[in-house]
Amino acid sequence: MTTSQEDPTVAGSFDERELERGPIQEWVNRAIEDPERAYRAMFYVAMLFFMVTTLFPFYWLLVVAVTPGSSYALVPAGVDLSAFGSVFERIDFLRYMFNSLFLATVTTVFVLLLASLAGYVFGRLEFPGRQPLMLLILAISYFPPAAFFLPLYRLFTGNVFPWLELYNTPGSMVLPFSSLFMPLSIFILTTFYGQIPDGLEDAARVEGTTRLGALFRVIIPLSAPGVATAGVLTFIAVYNEFFFSFLMTDGGAGDWAPIVGGLIQLQRAGQFEVTFSVMAAGSIIAVLPVTILVVVAQEKIVSGLTSGALKE
Amino acid sequence: MATEHETETLPGEGGGVYASFIRWMENLSETQFAYFLLTPALLLLGAIAFWPLLSTFRLSLFADAITGTSTVGEFVGIQNYLAVLTGERNALLPAPFIPTSLSVKAIFGSALTVTLIFTIASVFFETIIGFGQALVLDQDFRGRRWARVVIIIPWAVPIVIQGMIFYLFFAPGIGPFVGEGPLSLQQAGILSDSPLQTTIDAAMITIVADIWKTTAFMALLILAGLQSVNRDLYDVARVSGASTWQRFKLITLPIVLPTVLVAMLFRTIQAMRVYGIIEASGVGCSTLPSLSCLVVTSFFGGTRLVGTAATVAFLTAAFIGLVVTVYIIGYAREEGA
Repeated sequence: MTTSQEDPTVAGSFDERELERGPIQEWVNRAIEDPERAYRAMFYVAMLFFMVTTLFPFYWLLVVAVTPGSSYALVPAGVDLSAFGSVFERIDFLRYMFNSLFLATVTTVFVLLLASLAGYVFGRLEFPGRQPLMLLILAISYFPPAAFFLPLYRLFTGNVFPWLELYNTPGSMVLPFSSLFMPLSIFILTTFYGQIPDGLEDAARVEGTTRLGALFRVIIPLSAPGVATAGVLTFIAVYNEFFFSFLMTDGGAGDWAPIVGGLIQLQRAGQFEVTFSVMAAGSIIAVLPVTILVVVAQEKIVSGLTSGALKE
Repeated sequence: MATEHETETLPGEGGGVYASFIRWMENLSETQFAYFLLTPALLLLGAIAFWPLLSTFRLSLFADAITGTSTVGEFVGIQNYLAVLTGERNALLPAPFIPTSLSVKAIFGSALTVTLIFTIASVFFETIIGFGQALVLDQDFRGRRWARVVIIIPWAVPIVIQGMIFYLFFAPGIGPFVGEGPLSLQQAGILSDSPLQTTIDAAMITIVADIWKTTAFMALLILAGLQSVNRDLYDVARVSGASTWQRFKLITLPIVLPTVLVAMLFRTIQAMRVYGIIEASGVGCSTLPSLSCLVVTSFFGGTRLVGTAATVAFLTAAFIGLVVTVYIIGYAREEGA
């Protein structure tokens, strides 16, 4: 089902008589006369191929989740939804989901706030050091998380300052997430804030607003699409993050571990403790929030990703 | 700009402190105001990004303190770098940094080479498939919006779920590609009996997983490049009698190539730091020791190799920097041509 992409007419074409054109020759002939037809056919084949390869892993996840018993086939032998219930019994799934959504929301708000101030400065103010500072901030996103990890781990486990122990708390993840994902938001917001005409800001200032007031009452509301783009991308990035989510907690629900901790715990328990169905069911539930976000905000994601990457 | 008039007419003034703060802020010069607003972001980046980077670099200049309570031993300068790069440190590390021999097994089992293989293979296929997806999405057809959603969704799937999916494909006794079914890659002799625990198979699986998830990023960037092509060029070419293939080769490709290079650069930077999919797919760092894996395992391993771990972390960044430079040279050449 997944691999057969060839034209279904191939099989029947060989035993045709010479003079009578077989369907494939007929088709080729028409394609030669009108090449657009061939390109059209290629388009549909490619389209089908991409849809199948993209969606098949999700289909398999669903098959594993609903298959009763433990023999899994491409078409499930029956439908048993009990795995979706047992995932809540095996681990504190609700708490993990809450942790994930909490970390993503807090980071997003934090990043939007700081990046708004920075984006305003870079997008609308002229000052010495503007260009080098922007480059310095963008340079952060180039370094691998591993290059930040050792000192941060020591810092958060209280090895640098004994009073600062953030390991197993939201702070140990929100802080690294914020600083690693902020450069992209700063960049997107700089572009959007820079596009607001000066006249609008001046008008607000003449009306008696402070500089900060003009930012929060005029510039940010007018750049709502940009703020939404930066917010959606940050939220998805945090929800998807693995490195710090995995290494900055012990992985328990009470340790503020996000869904990463929950699913890894299910996987490590092994198939005799936890059935594959339960692992698949947990994955399906956990993937829902981002799937909905993609469907709702696809325009924002596309514009944010392309502008963020292509203009940098 | 700021005048007394403005501060007096402020709505909702809380009192003396707030008013004087506002007055102070309004009287800052543009440069002072800029740095004032940047303070929170720079404080965060300074403490959580720049300090750790510098601190990692500093740690990499000290010897490992295998015994005792201190984090690192005495200052050794670039000794760690030399020892790691020449393979002298291989025996101490959880996995070799550079291959000890030229056998396939040694190449896949060493951090630097396996990371490069992973990066080159996944970026290569992602570029080709991403180009194909972008060409499809560039057409006008009904349901284009939904096709785009479908193609983006894997990009938004959390790494841990991406890992779980591929675990559920290849764990023993489950999945259409293992066991005895008609699609079994084990029957076909491509995969071994326990693919997730065999280094070369695990590399293939994680490469496919990476391609599945991140091709969408490539496709979206290339699509943006395609849509920036001036449609008039196609009309001119059509009038001059150019075929669809010629139009693609002579118009589309040269215009899109710089975008493709940028997209490849971004993907390369990300692929070089691969870690999550290795842990989440049940493969584990012991089977597939990528560079990031090696940093983590030598830091947490039985013998504490803090200095070496920091060295590997910085070498990872250095190798990424090397690749970035190659791309930038290629890009400059493309732009100049």
